[in-house]
Amino acid sequence: MQPAILAEHAWAVPGGMEMVVLSGGMRCAACAWLVDQALARERGVLDVTASAVTGRIRLRWDPCVVELSTLLQRLAALGFAPTLATGMARERLRRREWRRDVLRLGLAGLGAMQAMMFAEALYLDTAAQMPLATRDFLRWITLLVSTPVVFVAGWPFLAGLARGLRERSANMDVLVGASILIAYFASVVETVRGGPHVWFDAAVMFVFLLLTARQLEQWARRRATMRADTLARLRPVFAQREVADGTTQRIAAAQIRVGDVLRVEAGETVPADGVLLDTDAALDEALLSGEALPVAHPCGDLIAAGSICRDRPLRLRVERIGADTRLAQLVRLVEQAQTQRPRLARFADRVARHFVAASLIAALLVFAAWSWLQPARAFETMLAVLVISCPCALSLALPAALAAATDALARRGVLVVRADALETLAAVDTLLLDKTGTLTDATLALDSVQTFADLTREEALAVAAALQGEGSHPLALAFRRGAAFPAPAPARTCTATRRHVRAGLGVEGCIDGCEFRLGRADFAAARDDDGAIWLGDGTVALARFSIKQQLRKDAVDVVAALRRLGVALEISTGDGAEAAAAVAQTLRIARWRARQTPEDKLARAQTLQREGRVVAMLGDGINDAPVLAGASVSFAFADGAALTHRAADFVLTCSALSRIAQSIAIARRMRRIVRQNLAWAVAYNAFALPFAALGWIAPWLAALGMALSSLLVVLNAVRLAGRAS
Amino acid sequence: MTMLLLLVPLSVLLLGAAIAAFVWAVRGGQFDDLETPALAPLAEDAPKPRDPHAG
Repeated sequence: MQPAILAEHAWAVPGGMEMVVLSGGMRCAACAWLVDQALARERGVLDVTASAVTGRIRLRWDPCVVELSTLLQRLAALGFAPTLATGMARERLRRREWRRDVLRLGLAGLGAMQAMMFAEALYLDTAAQMPLATRDFLRWITLLVSTPVVFVAGWPFLAGLARGLRERSANMDVLVGASILIAYFASVVETVRGGPHVWFDAAVMFVFLLLTARQLEQWARRRATMRADTLARLRPVFAQREVADGTTQRIAAAQIRVGDVLRVEAGETVPADGVLLDTDAALDEALLSGEALPVAHPCGDLIAAGSICRDRPLRLRVERIGADTRLAQLVRLVEQAQTQRPRLARFADRVARHFVAASLIAALLVFAAWSWLQPARAFETMLAVLVISCPCALSLALPAALAAATDALARRGVLVVRADALETLAAVDTLLLDKTGTLTDATLALDSVQTFADLTREEALAVAAALQGEGSHPLALAFRRGAAFPAPAPARTCTATRRHVRAGLGVEGCIDGCEFRLGRADFAAARDDDGAIWLGDGTVALARFSIKQQLRKDAVDVVAALRRLGVALEISTGDGAEAAAAVAQTLRIARWRARQTPEDKLARAQTLQREGRVVAMLGDGINDAPVLAGASVSFAFADGAALTHRAADFVLTCSALSRIAQSIAIARRMRRIVRQNLAWAVAYNAFALPFAALGWIAPWLAALGMALSSLLVVLNAVRLAGRAS
Repeated sequence: MTMLLLLVPLSVLLLGAAIAAFVWAVRGGQFDDLETPALAPLAEDAPKPRDPHAG
């Protein structure tokens, strides 16, 4: 068992082994600190680093002194059940990339500062009093310091230039790389032959500042991904497989096969998607969905990997493992979204490409004009034009803002599945709520009981409770509570036989030889449906229960928040008229429709769109998929069907409506920032180019201005992520 | 001015030392997590000092 895990997930380091485990329970700095503290005390542990932000714990230990299982058990005892991060190779690659980027940035920073110091000394010699020998000495030293900055730290730009030339496309790196190389090699030539000017400072400054802007953008994007896949890459380390003689065997999660029967103890994480055997079970799906209440699953239900078994042990037959689980599919969807370049970004790229071509031509024209007028300054002016006209800010304006918004959303449990959707989300003005359940609590309460015939209130409740059975469906809980509470003496409990659930109608069963039906009025008592629950025998009514849905605590605030954002609410629900009306009235939602089929909802969404409105929808069932695809922007719940996710633009990992209001607010802030950024980038380029062409801007000033403009754009975007609560 | 012949190479050597120290720190993982350590002072107890040999 152990060797299997070690082989797949750990790697050797000097003095021991190292591996990364994920823990979903680690949510704050205090948790990370606790993990650090507890594990570092164990004998044989070389190093522990727990990151609260990414949920990762890096563990380095000496296998000769301590066993991995001891450490993992210690971790579990603290309440942080360890799970394995899948794709270890990628995890290591990611860290290597991160270190390489930090190194490049540091090298560029240190080298550029030093090179600029020497350049400064040369600039200060305005009266040309410096002996030639000293000047040349300083130039050679600057050359020495700038070389690693240009070729090591600036490698991404040079590689981009090579790629651009190979593919014959004028990308931005062509301009950046060309400017850097021209400035550098022209300076080398001048140094060797003792010419009047060198431009090492412009080259290194350009590399350093532009690298900073680009790294900031990339890091914002990486953080967004890390958060999303920590959430979804939770997998327990061990599983218990049942063997032929009825005993269980502990195996590594990687050894699970489809068809295995697994046993999951109370408090353990379900290791694979599977069918629930024997009994009903309550599962805590908080890690998957953020839903705090355990979710009831009847026997035979498909349960998802990553959910936690509550109360009592359960058995399941494995249906899907590894990359096929719902968890894994969700992750892939999110990853896909992150590799897409949204429409607006592609547009900015296209503009930038034309811009690059135009700049190259402009630089050549400027060079020609100056060679004719004043040949001594032609090269310098061309360099300034080349550097200043680089549309870096334009290319960074959008991706940086998108990445920051994605990160801000992921922090609040909203995963972006389609990158284009953020733009539409900002324009949303109508939210079509497809069920009242999003506004009301999961718990139901009995409002009033009316009895007919000669049945007493207690008897009616006892019969209803028996028919609903032991399950933890909200309705069954409501009846059980109702049956136990008002009666002074323990109510007569009865048991139902031949229980049978009729989907969408109710439940029927046999108690003491009598047939009973509980459910919609037309099913139980042959009356017109009024939204209440009726007890009867199919023709004669025995009792009527009205069920009260409690509004969520935050519902009023959320509705108010949405109104403040100018988003109109409309209910279009499959629930009964009574329930919908009650909710609509309390929240003062004027427009509501009850008993709507998915087709009705879709039609309603399309009608609104024809009126010129931008409609957001949310849904969770498979039958909601077409509606979600039809809406302008759609949200699905993470615990919903995989098909719904594919149709949706955003996946909510928790079912709180407040996230939608927050998402809209973030999307709008993003739109504002994108507009500011684009306006700045265009205005800057348009403004600076004529000055550079006239020869009023020295190359170093051009490099400074250009790079600072890029940095400004990125920092403006990062602001979006920084403001998270 | 002859002093420059000594001081400038010295500054370059110092730069080399700074870069070497930075490379060492990055390789040692000191920059791997830039967020959690910032929150550590908020915890009541200072965490146990790390084993210096762990690298």
